Amino acid sequence: MTGSRAPWLRPLVALLAGAFFALPLYIALINVFKPSGQVAANAMSPPAPPTLDNLVRVLTGPDSLFWSSLRTSVVVTSLSIVILTLLSALLGHYLARHTRWWSRAIMVLLLCGLMIPPQVILIPVTQVLKSLGLMSTLQGLILFNVGYYVPFGVFVFSGFMKGVPRELEEAAAIDGATRWQTFWRIVFPLLRPATASVLIFLGVWIWNDFLNPLIIYGPREGTTIMTGVYKSLGRYAADFGGMFALMFLATLPILVFYLLLQKQFVKGLTGGATKG
Amino acid sequence: MAVGVTRPKPGRAPSGTRGSRARRARRPGARHFLLFAAPGTLVYVCLVLVPIVMSVGYSLTDQALLRPTTSFVGLRNYRLLLQDETFLQSLKVTTILTLIVVVVPNVLGVAIAVLLDRRGWLYNALRGVFFTPMVISSVVISVIWTRVLADDGPVNQALRALGVQDPPGWLSDPDIALYSLSSIVCWQLLGFCVVVYLAGLQGVPQELAEAAAIDGAGPVRRFWSVTWPLLAPALTINTVVLLISAFKIFDHVKVITNGGPGTGTTASVAFVVLQEGFVDNRTGYASAEAVVMLVVIAALSVLTLRILGRREVQL
Repeated sequence: MTGSRAPWLRPLVALLAGAFFALPLYIALINVFKPSGQVAANAMSPPAPPTLDNLVRVLTGPDSLFWSSLRTSVVVTSLSIVILTLLSALLGHYLARHTRWWSRAIMVLLLCGLMIPPQVILIPVTQVLKSLGLMSTLQGLILFNVGYYVPFGVFVFSGFMKGVPRELEEAAAIDGATRWQTFWRIVFPLLRPATASVLIFLGVWIWNDFLNPLIIYGPREGTTIMTGVYKSLGRYAADFGGMFALMFLATLPILVFYLLLQKQFVKGLTGGATKG
Repeated sequence: MAVGVTRPKPGRAPSGTRGSRARRARRPGARHFLLFAAPGTLVYVCLVLVPIVMSVGYSLTDQALLRPTTSFVGLRNYRLLLQDETFLQSLKVTTILTLIVVVVPNVLGVAIAVLLDRRGWLYNALRGVFFTPMVISSVVISVIWTRVLADDGPVNQALRALGVQDPPGWLSDPDIALYSLSSIVCWQLLGFCVVVYLAGLQGVPQELAEAAAIDGAGPVRRFWSVTWPLLAPALTINTVVLLISAFKIFDHVKVITNGGPGTGTTASVAFVVLQEGFVDNRTGYASAEAVVMLVVIAALSVLTLRILGRREVQL
Protein backbone atom coordinates (compact mmCIF):
# COMPACT_ATOMS: atom_id res chain seq x y z
CA MET A 1 0.00 0.00 0.00
CA THR A 2 1.30 3.41 -0.92
CA GLY A 3 -0.29 4.87 2.19
CA SER A 4 1.92 2.89 4.57
CA ARG A 5 5.08 3.15 2.48
CA ALA A 6 4.99 6.94 2.23
CA PRO A 7 2.57 8.39 4.77
CA TRP A 8 3.62 11.95 3.92
CA LEU A 9 2.69 11.60 0.25
CA ARG A 10 -1.08 11.98 0.53
CA PRO A 11 -1.09 15.14 2.71
CA LEU A 12 1.63 16.66 0.56
CA VAL A 13 -0.19 16.06 -2.73
CA ALA A 14 -3.48 17.20 -1.19
CA LEU A 15 -1.87 20.36 0.13
CA LEU A 16 -0.26 21.19 -3.23
CA ALA A 17 -3.50 20.57 -5.12
CA GLY A 18 -5.42 22.72 -2.65
CA ALA A 19 -2.89 25.53 -2.83
CA PHE A 20 -2.91 25.52 -6.63
CA PHE A 21 -6.70 25.48 -6.70
CA ALA A 22 -6.94 28.33 -4.20
CA LEU A 23 -4.56 30.68 -6.04
CA PRO A 24 -7.30 32.76 -7.73
CA LEU A 25 -9.08 33.11 -4.39
CA TYR A 26 -5.83 34.25 -2.78
CA ILE A 27 -5.23 36.81 -5.52
CA ALA A 28 -8.80 38.12 -5.15
CA LEU A 29 -8.50 38.37 -1.39
CA ILE A 30 -5.15 40.20 -1.26
CA ASN A 31 -6.41 42.69 -3.83
CA VAL A 32 -9.21 43.70 -1.44
CA PHE A 33 -6.61 44.93 1.05
CA LYS A 34 -4.05 46.38 -1.34
CA PRO A 35 -3.67 50.08 -2.05
CA SER A 36 -5.02 50.55 -5.57
CA GLY A 37 -1.65 51.56 -7.05
CA GLN A 38 -0.02 48.25 -6.08
CA VAL A 39 -2.62 45.95 -7.61
CA ALA A 40 -1.59 46.01 -11.23
CA ALA A 41 2.16 46.02 -10.73
CA ASN A 42 2.76 42.87 -8.71
CA ALA A 43 -0.36 40.78 -8.48
CA MET A 44 0.95 37.89 -6.38
CA SER A 45 2.63 39.73 -3.53
CA PRO A 46 0.73 40.25 -0.27
CA PRO A 47 -0.45 43.78 0.53
CA ALA A 48 2.23 45.84 2.23
CA PRO A 49 0.88 47.37 4.33
CA PRO A 50 -2.75 46.11 4.20
CA THR A 51 -5.33 48.85 3.91
CA LEU A 52 -9.06 49.12 4.46
CA ASP A 53 -9.34 52.05 2.03
CA ASN A 54 -10.95 49.96 -0.73
CA LEU A 55 -13.69 48.66 1.55
CA VAL A 56 -14.35 52.11 3.00
CA ARG A 57 -14.54 53.61 -0.50
CA VAL A 58 -17.19 51.10 -1.58
CA LEU A 59 -19.19 51.37 1.64
CA THR A 60 -19.28 55.16 1.57
CA GLY A 61 -19.75 55.59 -2.20
CA PRO A 62 -21.74 58.76 -3.01
CA ASP A 63 -24.62 56.96 -4.80
CA SER A 64 -24.81 54.23 -2.10
CA LEU A 65 -24.94 51.64 -4.90
CA PHE A 66 -23.69 48.98 -2.52
CA TRP A 67 -26.27 49.60 0.19
CA SER A 68 -29.29 49.92 -2.09
CA SER A 69 -28.46 46.83 -4.12
CA LEU A 70 -27.68 44.95 -0.91
CA ARG A 71 -31.14 45.81 0.38
CA THR A 72 -32.73 44.66 -2.88
CA SER A 73 -30.85 41.35 -2.81
CA VAL A 74 -31.74 40.68 0.82
CA VAL A 75 -35.44 41.28 0.11
CA VAL A 76 -35.51 39.22 -3.09
CA THR A 77 -33.48 36.32 -1.70
CA SER A 78 -35.19 36.03 1.67
CA LEU A 79 -38.75 36.32 0.35
CA SER A 80 -38.02 33.93 -2.53
CA ILE A 81 -36.51 31.20 -0.37
CA VAL A 82 -39.18 31.44 2.35
CA ILE A 83 -42.01 31.17 -0.18
CA LEU A 84 -40.17 28.44 -2.08
CA THR A 85 -39.60 26.40 1.07
CA LEU A 86 -43.26 26.58 2.10
CA LEU A 87 -44.72 25.84 -1.34
CA SER A 88 -42.30 23.09 -2.28
CA ALA A 89 -42.56 21.38 1.13
CA LEU A 90 -46.34 21.27 0.78
CA LEU A 91 -46.20 20.14 -2.82
CA GLY A 92 -43.40 17.63 -2.19
CA HIS A 93 -45.35 16.12 0.69
CA TYR A 94 -48.50 15.91 -1.39
CA LEU A 95 -46.78 14.26 -4.34
CA ALA A 96 -44.88 11.81 -2.15
CA ARG A 97 -48.12 10.64 -0.50
CA HIS A 98 -50.33 10.52 -3.61
CA THR A 99 -49.65 8.09 -6.39
CA ARG A 100 -52.63 8.71 -8.67
CA TRP A 101 -51.74 9.24 -12.32
CA TRP A 102 -52.17 13.00 -12.20
CA SER A 103 -49.92 13.52 -9.24
CA ARG A 104 -47.32 11.39 -11.02
CA ALA A 105 -47.80 13.55 -14.09
CA ILE A 106 -47.18 16.69 -12.02
CA MET A 107 -44.04 15.07 -10.62
CA VAL A 108 -42.69 14.25 -14.08
CA LEU A 109 -43.41 17.75 -15.35
CA LEU A 110 -41.61 19.22 -12.34
CA LEU A 111 -38.58 16.98 -12.85
CA CYS A 112 -38.39 18.20 -16.46
CA GLY A 113 -38.18 21.70 -15.03
CA LEU A 114 -34.86 20.81 -13.38
CA MET A 115 -33.07 20.87 -16.72
CA ILE A 116 -34.74 23.82 -18.46
CA PRO A 117 -32.22 26.61 -19.02
CA PRO A 118 -33.62 30.03 -18.13
CA GLN A 119 -32.66 31.33 -21.58
CA VAL A 120 -35.31 29.10 -23.15
CA ILE A 121 -38.18 30.74 -21.28
CA LEU A 122 -37.03 34.28 -20.52
CA ILE A 123 -38.51 35.91 -23.63
CA PRO A 124 -42.07 34.67 -22.98
CA VAL A 125 -41.64 35.16 -19.22
CA THR A 126 -41.19 38.88 -19.77
CA GLN A 127 -44.50 38.84 -21.69
CA VAL A 128 -46.28 36.91 -18.93
CA LEU A 129 -44.96 39.28 -16.28
CA LYS A 130 -45.89 42.31 -18.39
CA SER A 131 -49.47 41.07 -18.71
CA LEU A 132 -49.58 40.64 -14.93
CA GLY A 133 -48.17 44.14 -14.50
CA LEU A 134 -45.16 42.69 -12.66
CA MET A 135 -42.36 43.31 -15.14
CA SER A 136 -39.50 45.37 -13.64
CA THR A 137 -40.82 44.84 -10.11
CA LEU A 138 -39.38 42.92 -7.19
CA GLN A 139 -42.64 40.95 -6.94
CA GLY A 140 -42.19 39.83 -10.54
CA LEU A 141 -38.62 38.69 -9.91
CA ILE A 142 -39.66 36.83 -6.77
CA LEU A 143 -42.57 35.18 -8.59
CA PHE A 144 -40.24 34.01 -11.36
CA ASN A 145 -37.74 32.67 -8.82
CA VAL A 146 -40.54 30.70 -7.15
CA GLY A 147 -41.74 29.20 -10.43
CA TYR A 148 -38.28 28.43 -11.74
CA TYR A 149 -36.87 26.85 -8.58
CA VAL A 150 -39.95 25.05 -7.25
CA PRO A 151 -38.92 21.80 -9.04
CA PHE A 152 -35.67 21.68 -7.09
CA GLY A 153 -37.49 22.20 -3.78
CA VAL A 154 -40.05 19.53 -4.59
CA PHE A 155 -37.29 17.16 -5.69
CA VAL A 156 -35.48 17.50 -2.34
CA PHE A 157 -38.58 17.42 -0.11
CA SER A 158 -40.35 14.53 -1.83
CA GLY A 159 -37.14 12.51 -1.78
CA PHE A 160 -36.75 13.17 1.93
CA MET A 161 -40.40 12.26 2.59
CA LYS A 162 -39.51 8.61 1.98
CA GLY A 163 -37.72 8.64 5.33
CA VAL A 164 -40.74 10.02 7.20
CA PRO A 165 -42.94 7.15 8.41
CA ARG A 166 -46.53 7.32 7.18
CA GLU A 167 -47.69 5.92 10.55
CA LEU A 168 -46.86 9.22 12.26
CA GLU A 169 -49.33 11.03 10.04
CA GLU A 170 -51.97 8.35 10.46
CA ALA A 171 -51.59 8.50 14.22
CA ALA A 172 -52.04 12.28 14.15
CA ALA A 173 -55.12 11.90 11.94
CA ILE A 174 -56.65 9.40 14.38
CA ASP A 175 -56.01 11.87 17.19
CA GLY A 176 -58.17 14.34 15.28
CA ALA A 177 -55.55 16.58 13.65
CA THR A 178 -56.40 18.07 10.27
CA ARG A 179 -54.01 17.49 7.38
CA TRP A 180 -52.80 21.07 7.69
CA GLN A 181 -52.04 20.63 11.41
CA THR A 182 -50.46 17.23 10.80
CA PHE A 183 -48.17 18.69 8.20
CA TRP A 184 -46.97 21.69 10.14
CA ARG A 185 -46.76 20.08 13.60
CA ILE A 186 -45.57 16.57 12.73
CA VAL A 187 -44.10 16.35 9.24
CA PHE A 188 -42.45 19.72 8.62
CA PRO A 189 -40.30 19.60 11.80
CA LEU A 190 -39.03 16.20 10.67
CA LEU A 191 -38.06 17.64 7.31
CA ARG A 192 -35.54 20.01 8.89
CA PRO A 193 -32.43 18.69 7.13
CA ALA A 194 -34.26 18.92 3.80
CA THR A 195 -35.40 22.45 4.66
CA ALA A 196 -31.84 23.42 5.48
CA SER A 197 -30.46 22.09 2.21
CA VAL A 198 -33.22 23.75 0.19
CA LEU A 199 -32.54 27.05 1.96
CA ILE A 200 -28.79 26.72 1.41
CA PHE A 201 -28.92 25.83 -2.27
CA LEU A 202 -31.68 28.23 -3.27
CA GLY A 203 -30.29 31.01 -1.10
CA VAL A 204 -26.92 30.73 -2.81
CA TRP A 205 -28.37 30.41 -6.32
CA ILE A 206 -30.79 33.30 -5.99
CA TRP A 207 -28.32 35.59 -4.25
CA ASN A 208 -25.70 34.89 -6.91
CA ASP A 209 -28.13 35.05 -9.82
CA PHE A 210 -27.13 37.51 -12.50
CA LEU A 211 -29.14 36.84 -15.64
CA ASN A 212 -32.70 36.73 -14.31
CA PRO A 213 -32.52 39.97 -12.29
CA LEU A 214 -30.77 41.64 -15.20
CA ILE A 215 -33.64 40.83 -17.57
CA ILE A 216 -36.66 40.80 -15.25
CA TYR A 217 -35.88 43.49 -12.70
CA GLY A 218 -34.39 45.54 -15.46
CA PRO A 219 -32.11 48.52 -15.55
CA ARG A 220 -34.58 51.18 -14.50
CA GLU A 221 -35.64 50.23 -11.00
CA GLY A 222 -32.27 49.39 -9.48
CA THR A 223 -30.24 46.24 -9.21
CA THR A 224 -29.59 43.20 -7.10
CA ILE A 225 -26.08 42.94 -5.75
CA MET A 226 -24.65 40.72 -8.50
CA THR A 227 -26.09 42.73 -11.37
CA GLY A 228 -24.73 45.71 -9.43
CA VAL A 229 -21.26 44.18 -9.53
CA TYR A 230 -21.60 43.65 -13.28
CA LYS A 231 -22.77 47.19 -13.88
CA SER A 232 -19.90 48.60 -11.82
CA LEU A 233 -17.27 46.88 -13.96
CA GLY A 234 -16.93 49.93 -16.17
CA ARG A 235 -16.71 52.35 -13.30
CA TYR A 236 -14.06 50.32 -11.50
CA ALA A 237 -12.08 49.58 -14.67
CA ALA A 238 -9.17 51.63 -13.38
CA ASP A 239 -9.73 50.82 -9.70
CA PHE A 240 -9.04 47.11 -9.15
CA GLY A 241 -8.94 47.58 -5.39
CA GLY A 242 -12.46 49.03 -5.36
CA MET A 243 -13.70 46.30 -7.69
CA PHE A 244 -12.38 43.49 -5.53
CA ALA A 245 -13.66 45.18 -2.37
CA LEU A 246 -17.15 45.42 -3.88
CA MET A 247 -17.07 41.75 -4.90
CA PHE A 248 -15.83 40.76 -1.44
CA LEU A 249 -18.65 42.67 0.24
CA ALA A 250 -21.20 41.22 -2.19
CA THR A 251 -20.07 37.66 -1.43
CA LEU A 252 -19.70 38.00 2.35
CA PRO A 253 -23.43 37.89 3.31
CA ILE A 254 -24.14 34.67 1.40
CA LEU A 255 -20.95 33.08 2.69
CA VAL A 256 -22.01 33.82 6.27
CA PHE A 257 -25.53 32.55 5.54
CA TYR A 258 -24.07 29.34 4.13
CA LEU A 259 -21.76 28.75 7.08
CA LEU A 260 -24.53 29.43 9.63
CA LEU A 261 -27.08 27.16 7.96
CA GLN A 262 -24.56 24.43 7.32
CA LYS A 263 -24.31 23.98 11.09
CA GLN A 264 -28.11 23.78 11.31
CA PHE A 265 -28.03 21.26 8.51
CA VAL A 266 -25.65 18.97 10.39
CA LYS A 267 -27.58 19.45 13.65
CA GLY A 268 -30.77 18.50 11.85
CA LEU A 269 -29.16 15.34 10.56
CA THR A 270 -27.85 14.20 13.93
CA GLY A 271 -30.71 15.43 16.08
CA GLY A 272 -33.44 13.41 14.36
CA ALA A 273 -33.99 11.16 17.38
CA THR A 274 -37.73 11.00 16.85
CA LYS A 275 -37.50 8.95 13.69
CA GLY A 276 -38.77 5.45 14.24
CA MET B 1 -78.74 18.45 3.57
CA ALA B 2 -81.67 16.26 4.45
CA VAL B 3 -79.81 13.04 3.86
CA GLY B 4 -77.09 14.06 6.25
CA VAL B 5 -79.50 14.37 9.16
CA THR B 6 -80.77 10.84 8.91
CA ARG B 7 -77.27 9.42 8.72
CA PRO B 8 -75.29 8.38 11.77
CA LYS B 9 -72.37 10.59 12.72
CA PRO B 10 -69.75 10.50 9.97
CA GLY B 11 -66.37 9.30 11.00
CA ARG B 12 -65.48 5.78 11.83
CA ALA B 13 -69.06 4.53 11.67
CA PRO B 14 -68.96 0.82 10.92
CA SER B 15 -72.04 1.09 8.71
CA GLY B 16 -70.28 3.42 6.18
CA THR B 17 -70.66 1.86 2.75
CA ARG B 18 -68.13 2.15 0.00
CA GLY B 19 -70.10 4.77 -1.90
CA SER B 20 -70.65 7.12 0.99
CA ARG B 21 -67.01 6.95 1.97
CA ALA B 22 -65.95 7.92 -1.55
CA ARG B 23 -68.38 10.82 -1.59
CA ARG B 24 -67.11 12.11 1.71
CA ALA B 25 -63.51 11.78 0.60
CA ARG B 26 -63.90 13.73 -2.60
CA ARG B 27 -64.49 17.19 -1.13
CA PRO B 28 -61.66 17.04 1.43
CA GLY B 29 -59.50 15.61 -1.32
CA ALA B 30 -60.11 18.65 -3.48
CA ARG B 31 -59.42 21.00 -0.60
CA HIS B 32 -56.28 19.06 0.24
CA PHE B 33 -55.11 19.47 -3.35
CA LEU B 34 -55.93 23.19 -3.42
CA LEU B 35 -54.13 23.82 -0.15
CA PHE B 36 -51.05 21.64 -0.61
CA ALA B 37 -50.41 21.07 -4.28
CA ALA B 38 -52.11 23.85 -6.22
CA PRO B 39 -50.04 26.93 -5.25
CA GLY B 40 -46.65 25.53 -6.24
CA THR B 41 -48.00 23.83 -9.34
CA LEU B 42 -49.81 26.97 -10.48
CA VAL B 43 -46.74 29.22 -10.26
CA TYR B 44 -44.64 26.60 -12.02
CA VAL B 45 -47.17 26.16 -14.82
CA CYS B 46 -47.55 29.92 -15.37
CA LEU B 47 -43.87 30.85 -15.21
CA VAL B 48 -42.24 27.78 -16.80
CA LEU B 49 -44.59 25.48 -18.71
CA VAL B 50 -46.76 28.14 -20.35
CA PRO B 51 -43.64 30.09 -21.44
CA ILE B 52 -42.24 26.95 -23.09
CA VAL B 53 -45.42 26.60 -25.12
CA MET B 54 -45.29 30.33 -25.89
CA SER B 55 -41.68 29.95 -27.02
CA VAL B 56 -42.70 27.30 -29.52
CA GLY B 57 -45.50 29.59 -30.68
CA TYR B 58 -43.19 32.61 -31.03
CA SER B 59 -40.70 30.53 -32.99
CA LEU B 60 -43.26 30.13 -35.77
CA THR B 61 -43.66 33.91 -36.18
CA ASP B 62 -41.51 36.83 -37.30
CA GLN B 63 -42.16 38.62 -34.00
CA ALA B 64 -39.79 41.48 -33.26
CA LEU B 65 -40.23 44.08 -30.54
CA LEU B 66 -39.76 47.04 -32.86
CA ARG B 67 -41.96 45.67 -35.65
CA PRO B 68 -45.59 46.80 -35.38
CA THR B 69 -47.15 43.62 -36.81
CA THR B 70 -46.39 39.97 -36.29
CA SER B 71 -47.28 37.27 -38.77
CA PHE B 72 -47.11 33.51 -38.87
CA VAL B 73 -44.15 32.26 -40.90
CA GLY B 74 -44.30 28.52 -40.26
CA LEU B 75 -40.92 26.84 -40.05
CA ARG B 76 -39.03 29.61 -41.82
CA ASN B 77 -37.04 30.55 -38.69
CA TYR B 78 -35.84 26.97 -38.35
CA ARG B 79 -34.80 26.88 -42.02
CA LEU B 80 -32.90 30.13 -41.57
CA LEU B 81 -31.13 28.71 -38.53
CA LEU B 82 -29.53 26.01 -40.66
CA GLN B 83 -27.71 28.67 -42.70
CA ASP B 84 -27.05 31.10 -39.86
CA GLU B 85 -23.27 31.29 -39.39
CA THR B 86 -23.62 32.85 -35.93
CA PHE B 87 -25.92 30.11 -34.71
CA LEU B 88 -23.91 27.25 -36.20
CA GLN B 89 -20.77 28.73 -34.69
CA SER B 90 -22.51 28.92 -31.30
CA LEU B 91 -23.44 25.24 -31.54
CA LYS B 92 -19.78 24.42 -32.15
CA VAL B 93 -18.69 26.60 -29.22
CA THR B 94 -21.25 24.99 -26.91
CA THR B 95 -20.22 21.49 -28.02
CA ILE B 96 -16.55 22.11 -27.19
CA LEU B 97 -17.48 23.85 -23.94
CA THR B 98 -19.81 21.01 -22.92
CA LEU B 99 -17.30 18.26 -23.73
CA ILE B 100 -14.61 19.92 -21.62
CA VAL B 101 -16.95 20.82 -18.77
CA VAL B 102 -18.45 17.33 -18.57
CA VAL B 103 -15.14 15.44 -18.70
CA VAL B 104 -12.58 17.52 -16.78
CA PRO B 105 -14.43 18.15 -13.47
CA ASN B 106 -15.54 14.51 -13.43
CA VAL B 107 -11.98 13.21 -13.77
CA LEU B 108 -10.40 15.72 -11.39
CA GLY B 109 -13.37 15.39 -9.04
CA VAL B 110 -12.83 11.66 -8.54
CA ALA B 111 -9.12 12.15 -8.06
CA ILE B 112 -9.55 14.88 -5.46
CA ALA B 113 -12.37 13.07 -3.65
CA VAL B 114 -10.18 9.96 -3.31
CA LEU B 115 -7.31 12.18 -2.17
CA LEU B 116 -9.41 13.94 0.48
CA ASP B 117 -11.35 10.90 1.69
CA ARG B 118 -9.57 10.88 5.05
CA ARG B 119 -10.32 12.27 8.50
CA GLY B 120 -8.46 15.14 10.12
CA TRP B 121 -8.31 18.91 10.17
CA LEU B 122 -6.09 19.16 7.08
CA TYR B 123 -8.58 17.29 4.90
CA ASN B 124 -11.52 19.20 6.36
CA ALA B 125 -9.82 22.49 5.56
CA LEU B 126 -8.92 21.39 2.03
CA ARG B 127 -12.50 20.26 1.39
CA GLY B 128 -13.55 23.75 2.41
CA VAL B 129 -11.14 25.21 -0.16
CA PHE B 130 -12.52 23.11 -3.00
CA PHE B 131 -16.14 23.84 -2.02
CA THR B 132 -15.72 27.60 -1.78
CA PRO B 133 -16.28 28.48 -5.48
CA MET B 134 -19.74 26.87 -5.21
CA VAL B 135 -20.86 29.72 -2.97
CA ILE B 136 -19.38 32.46 -5.15
CA SER B 137 -21.35 34.09 -7.93
CA SER B 138 -20.37 33.37 -11.54
CA VAL B 139 -20.04 37.11 -12.03
CA VAL B 140 -17.47 37.41 -9.25
CA ILE B 141 -15.62 34.31 -10.41
CA SER B 142 -15.56 35.69 -13.93
CA VAL B 143 -14.10 39.02 -12.82
CA ILE B 144 -11.47 37.32 -10.67
CA TRP B 145 -10.35 35.11 -13.56
CA THR B 146 -10.43 37.97 -16.04
CA ARG B 147 -7.85 39.62 -13.80
CA VAL B 148 -5.85 36.43 -13.21
CA LEU B 149 -5.61 35.63 -16.93
CA ALA B 150 -5.22 39.19 -18.19
CA ASP B 151 -2.35 39.81 -20.60
CA ASP B 152 -0.43 41.59 -17.82
CA GLY B 153 -2.04 39.55 -15.04
CA PRO B 154 -0.47 37.34 -12.37
CA VAL B 155 -0.22 34.22 -14.54
CA ASN B 156 1.66 35.99 -17.31
CA GLN B 157 3.77 37.91 -14.79
CA ALA B 158 4.81 34.57 -13.34
CA LEU B 159 5.49 33.13 -16.80
CA ARG B 160 7.66 36.14 -17.72
CA ALA B 161 9.55 35.76 -14.45
CA LEU B 162 10.20 32.14 -15.44
CA GLY B 163 11.67 33.33 -18.71
CA VAL B 164 8.76 32.90 -21.12
CA GLN B 165 9.32 35.70 -23.62
CA ASP B 166 5.86 35.95 -25.08
CA PRO B 167 3.20 34.40 -22.81
CA PRO B 168 -0.15 33.63 -24.46
CA GLY B 169 -3.10 36.01 -24.37
CA TRP B 170 -5.31 33.59 -22.45
CA LEU B 171 -8.48 35.57 -23.04
CA SER B 172 -7.46 37.77 -25.96
CA ASP B 173 -6.23 35.11 -28.41
CA PRO B 174 -9.19 33.79 -30.48
CA ASP B 175 -7.60 30.33 -30.62
CA ILE B 176 -7.23 29.99 -26.85
CA ALA B 177 -10.05 32.03 -25.30
CA LEU B 178 -12.66 29.26 -25.49
CA TYR B 179 -10.36 26.82 -23.68
CA SER B 180 -9.54 29.39 -21.00
CA LEU B 181 -13.26 30.03 -20.56
CA SER B 182 -13.96 26.29 -20.26
CA SER B 183 -11.21 25.92 -17.67
CA ILE B 184 -12.75 28.69 -15.57
CA VAL B 185 -16.12 26.93 -15.60
CA CYS B 186 -14.39 23.63 -14.70
CA TRP B 187 -12.69 25.33 -11.77
CA GLN B 188 -16.04 26.61 -10.53
CA LEU B 189 -17.91 23.30 -10.88
CA LEU B 190 -15.11 21.06 -9.55
CA GLY B 191 -16.25 21.49 -5.93
CA PHE B 192 -19.69 20.13 -6.70
CA CYS B 193 -18.21 16.99 -8.25
CA VAL B 194 -15.92 16.51 -5.26
CA VAL B 195 -18.91 16.73 -2.88
CA VAL B 196 -20.89 14.16 -4.82
CA TYR B 197 -17.94 11.76 -5.17
CA LEU B 198 -17.05 12.12 -1.48
CA ALA B 199 -20.64 11.25 -0.61
CA GLY B 200 -20.40 8.29 -2.99
CA LEU B 201 -17.18 7.10 -1.34
CA GLN B 202 -18.99 7.00 2.03
CA GLY B 203 -21.16 4.29 0.52
CA VAL B 204 -18.23 2.07 -0.51
CA PRO B 205 -17.90 -0.62 2.18
CA GLN B 206 -14.41 -0.72 3.70
CA GLU B 207 -14.55 -4.54 3.80
CA LEU B 208 -14.68 -4.79 0.01
CA ALA B 209 -11.42 -2.87 -0.43
CA GLU B 210 -9.82 -4.92 2.36
CA ALA B 211 -10.99 -8.16 0.81
CA ALA B 212 -9.55 -7.10 -2.54
CA ALA B 213 -6.29 -6.15 -0.82
CA ILE B 214 -6.06 -9.59 0.78
CA ASP B 215 -6.63 -11.11 -2.66
CA GLY B 216 -3.54 -9.22 -3.76
CA ALA B 217 -5.06 -6.29 -5.66
CA GLY B 218 -2.89 -3.16 -5.69
CA PRO B 219 -4.31 0.32 -5.10
CA VAL B 220 -4.92 0.98 -8.80
CA ARG B 221 -6.65 -2.33 -9.35
CA ARG B 222 -8.70 -1.83 -6.16
CA PHE B 223 -9.88 1.53 -7.42
CA TRP B 224 -10.93 0.30 -10.88
CA SER B 225 -12.48 -2.98 -9.79
CA VAL B 226 -14.10 -2.02 -6.48
CA THR B 227 -14.42 1.71 -5.89
CA TRP B 228 -15.15 3.06 -9.37
CA PRO B 229 -18.06 0.71 -10.21
CA LEU B 230 -19.65 1.57 -6.87
CA LEU B 231 -19.38 5.28 -7.69
CA ALA B 232 -21.69 4.81 -10.69
CA PRO B 233 -24.62 6.76 -9.17
CA ALA B 234 -22.29 9.67 -8.36
CA LEU B 235 -21.00 9.64 -11.94
CA THR B 236 -24.56 9.80 -13.24
CA ILE B 237 -25.50 12.75 -11.03
CA ASN B 238 -22.32 14.65 -11.85
CA THR B 239 -22.53 14.05 -15.58
CA VAL B 240 -26.15 15.20 -15.84
CA VAL B 241 -25.59 18.26 -13.64
CA LEU B 242 -22.42 19.22 -15.55
CA LEU B 243 -24.18 18.72 -18.87
CA ILE B 244 -27.06 20.99 -17.91
CA SER B 245 -24.74 23.58 -16.35
CA ALA B 246 -22.47 23.61 -19.41
CA PHE B 247 -25.39 24.07 -21.74
CA LYS B 248 -26.70 27.19 -20.06
CA ILE B 249 -23.38 28.97 -19.63
CA PHE B 250 -24.06 32.63 -20.13
CA ASP B 251 -22.69 34.67 -17.23
CA HIS B 252 -19.05 33.77 -17.90
CA VAL B 253 -19.29 34.58 -21.59
CA LYS B 254 -21.08 37.87 -20.91
CA VAL B 255 -18.62 39.06 -18.28
CA ILE B 256 -15.31 37.64 -19.50
CA THR B 257 -15.34 37.82 -23.30
CA ASN B 258 -18.76 39.13 -24.38
CA GLY B 259 -18.62 36.54 -27.16
CA GLY B 260 -15.20 37.54 -28.48
CA PRO B 261 -12.34 37.84 -29.16
CA GLY B 262 -12.91 37.99 -32.90
CA THR B 263 -16.42 37.13 -34.03
CA GLY B 264 -18.25 34.74 -31.77
CA THR B 265 -15.26 32.59 -30.79
CA THR B 266 -16.73 32.11 -27.31
CA ALA B 267 -20.42 32.87 -27.99
CA SER B 268 -22.37 29.93 -26.53
CA VAL B 269 -25.91 29.09 -27.65
CA ALA B 270 -27.31 30.51 -24.43
CA PHE B 271 -25.43 33.74 -25.11
CA VAL B 272 -26.61 33.98 -28.71
CA VAL B 273 -30.26 33.35 -27.77
CA LEU B 274 -30.25 36.24 -25.32
CA GLN B 275 -28.28 38.48 -27.64
CA GLU B 276 -30.79 37.86 -30.42
CA GLY B 277 -33.81 38.16 -28.11
CA PHE B 278 -32.95 41.08 -25.86
CA VAL B 279 -30.30 43.07 -27.70
CA ASP B 280 -31.36 42.66 -31.33
CA ASN B 281 -35.01 42.22 -30.25
CA ARG B 282 -35.76 39.53 -32.84
CA THR B 283 -37.86 37.53 -30.39
CA GLY B 284 -39.43 35.15 -32.93
CA TYR B 285 -36.09 34.07 -34.32
CA ALA B 286 -34.51 33.90 -30.86
CA SER B 287 -37.37 31.65 -29.74
CA ALA B 288 -36.58 29.22 -32.55
CA GLU B 289 -32.99 29.10 -31.28
CA ALA B 290 -34.29 28.58 -27.74
CA VAL B 291 -36.50 25.69 -28.85
CA VAL B 292 -33.56 24.00 -30.60
CA MET B 293 -31.53 24.48 -27.43
CA LEU B 294 -34.27 22.90 -25.30
CA VAL B 295 -34.66 19.90 -27.62
CA VAL B 296 -30.91 19.24 -27.66
CA ILE B 297 -30.49 19.49 -23.88
CA ALA B 298 -33.55 17.28 -23.28
CA ALA B 299 -32.27 14.63 -25.70
CA LEU B 300 -28.76 14.69 -24.21
CA SER B 301 -30.07 14.48 -20.62
CA VAL B 302 -32.34 11.53 -21.37
CA LEU B 303 -29.57 9.78 -23.30
CA THR B 304 -27.06 10.29 -20.48
CA LEU B 305 -29.50 9.04 -17.86
CA ARG B 306 -30.26 5.97 -19.99
CA ILE B 307 -26.65 5.05 -20.68
CA LEU B 308 -25.22 5.76 -17.23
CA GLY B 309 -28.35 4.50 -15.48
CA ARG B 310 -28.01 1.12 -17.20
CA ARG B 311 -24.48 0.89 -15.83
CA GLU B 312 -25.86 1.35 -12.32
CA VAL B 313 -28.42 -1.43 -12.75
CA GLN B 314 -25.84 -3.91 -14.02
CA LEU B 315 -24.02 -3.83 -10.69
